[in-house]
Amino acid sequence: MADHSALVAVVARALADEPDAVRVTVGERRGATHYELHVAPRDLGRVIGRQGRTAAALRLLLSAAAEAAGGKAQLDIRDSDGRS
Amino acid sequence: MTTQVTEFVQKVVDAMGLKLTATAEELPDGLRVHLEGEDGVVLTRRQGEALQALQHIASSAFRSDGPDRRRLVIDCENFRKDKDAELRQMALYMAGKAKSSGASQEMGPLNPYERRIVHLAVSEVAGVSSESVGDAFEKTVIISVG
Repeated sequence: MADHSALVAVVARALADEPDAVRVTVGERRGATHYELHVAPRDLGRVIGRQGRTAAALRLLLSAAAEAAGGKAQLDIRDSDGRS
Repeated sequence: MTTQVTEFVQKVVDAMGLKLTATAEELPDGLRVHLEGEDGVVLTRRQGEALQALQHIASSAFRSDGPDRRRLVIDCENFRKDKDAELRQMALYMAGKAKSSGASQEMGPLNPYERRIVHLAVSEVAGVSSESVGDAFEKTVIISVG
């Protein structure tokens, strides 16, 4: 199972105003690598983007990377209070 | 900023586990980052959707809200360059067709990056003009006489 949590972290830190608050956890769920991205509450909007476009782009990169390594990936995005 | 953007793009493709190398090229109105290497197809398959995603993220991370906002283009194995040239040829052809027939021609739906290429090409042809119509992210470009 390829771990692409560095990809999620690199992108999220570049987008965030509080890069130090970025945390990525990784697990396995129904045959896919499952990532959970936590960002500061005020960065949630930046990371998700207008009409969810930035979140969609990040999910797409993650899927492309997982596919290249022969796997599948899922991503949940939450703020550090657990809201998503 | 050039170095920062190029380093960021390199970090992203490294983290994706792809064998690609990023190099920068200064444009009059912005920056083009070229990616070359054996894993280029991972970004260019399915009409380059991953390449588009990477460009969106990089633009979003290095946004400059000012009048001197610079454009950022990310290309991979000349995928965009070839596609852009094709789109430009098509726009010039449609502009010629509008002019000779007098009937408006439609192109699209196109994303903002593609529409810019069409508008620029049409503006080089005398006697025709172009406008984008639609409310969605992707719009149709109408090329008409006048």
